[in-house]
Amino acid sequence: MVGLAEFFERKPNVEVVVFAGKGGLGKTTSSAALSYYMAVKEGKKVLCFSTDPQASLSDIFERDLYGKGVVEVAPNLYVVEIDADKKIAEYQQEIKQKILDMYGLEELPKEIEEYIDSTSAEPAMYESATYDAMADLVASGEYDLYVFDMPPFGHGVRMVAMAEILSAWVDKITEARKEAAEYEAVAATLKGGMQTEDMVLKELEEIRRKMTTFTELMTDSERTAFFMVMVPEKMAILDTERALEMFRELNIEMSGVVVNQIYPRDLLNKPDLPDLLRKKIEMQEKHLIEIREKFGDLVAALIPMYDREPKGLEMIARVAEDLMHSRRDLLWW
Amino acid sequence: MVRIPLFRKKKEKKVEGREGFSEALKGVLYGFAVHGAATAALKTRMHMEHLFMLMTLGDMLGFPIIPPYYSLRILPYVVPNIKAWKERLFRERDFTDLLSG
Repeated sequence: MVGLAEFFERKPNVEVVVFAGKGGLGKTTSSAALSYYMAVKEGKKVLCFSTDPQASLSDIFERDLYGKGVVEVAPNLYVVEIDADKKIAEYQQEIKQKILDMYGLEELPKEIEEYIDSTSAEPAMYESATYDAMADLVASGEYDLYVFDMPPFGHGVRMVAMAEILSAWVDKITEARKEAAEYEAVAATLKGGMQTEDMVLKELEEIRRKMTTFTELMTDSERTAFFMVMVPEKMAILDTERALEMFRELNIEMSGVVVNQIYPRDLLNKPDLPDLLRKKIEMQEKHLIEIREKFGDLVAALIPMYDREPKGLEMIARVAEDLMHSRRDLLWW
Repeated sequence: MVRIPLFRKKKEKKVEGREGFSEALKGVLYGFAVHGAATAALKTRMHMEHLFMLMTLGDMLGFPIIPPYYSLRILPYVVPNIKAWKERLFRERDFTDLLSG
């Protein structure tokens, strides 16, 4: 039996679900569908999170959610679509205000202000802001389930890789900071001076605590599930294989693969089937068999091709049903 | 660590006679015994501070070390050090540096 319902029966303690994969293959749709099912059918308090302004939850839920904070779109179903640019701008403003307050300044030194402003041009800033927002939301512990629609940069798993790099970096500078503080203490003792409390060290430790908590959660396969979303096409197969490799390197267990946009096999029995469609279905068959061979039991759910775009709560409910309990006529093997 | 009260600030009340002499002697002893060590400790601390600044705010000078999202959180605390740090890094060096370390 294929379908995510079976997965959640096996892993009842999952708190975080991440959908990753290339853009445009159905990550956002899968995120919305799972969130809908868990909230409406299972009665869990669910937060569905996206940062991607392109393939947006706003489109799917047919409401403007972008940068609006947490919005309840159905009973128990909360959606938040982060406007990363806005978040970065607010964060920069907060830092500037802190400097002004700390030193009682009327205005910032020019080079400091220029430096803070220049950071928004950094591409990594966007990823960090997203990651930070995710960590904050999960740390709040307000919801039973968090569903993350990963932005399509890299494989989304880069987020986890980045957490590890950042964590190592914080470790190193904390160490350097502590050592510096020791020398200061030595000098102060010799001269009979007083030691000042190191606020920087405190700040660093807080950053590290936040990152390690979140990374631990993300790499715990009992509490976090990663699904790759793909379609039966050569490119998607190659991409998913690469992602699997990356997951392995990061010591993350990939929970499964969701195959989207599948044509039901009985279509082939129709005599009046247009040639174009027949060719397309035959091509899908070939790829689906390859998917089965390559990913085996990782194939967790099969979603059919619909006659219209999956938008609005009614369609989401339909996708949710297919995602949780996949239809038998989509099984090509 | 044990605190050695060898160094007193000037503001303290004036002492005379034997006491004044012992104070002066303490000062001299401090100079002989630990002033070098204290200065060395402070100097090492300064080097570490510079290293720390480079690790956190390296991108300010064009070294892309880490996404600035987290270094921005540290920025407010090190604002007063930035000027000295940059001056030291960009300062021209000559043979007297060898003498003073």
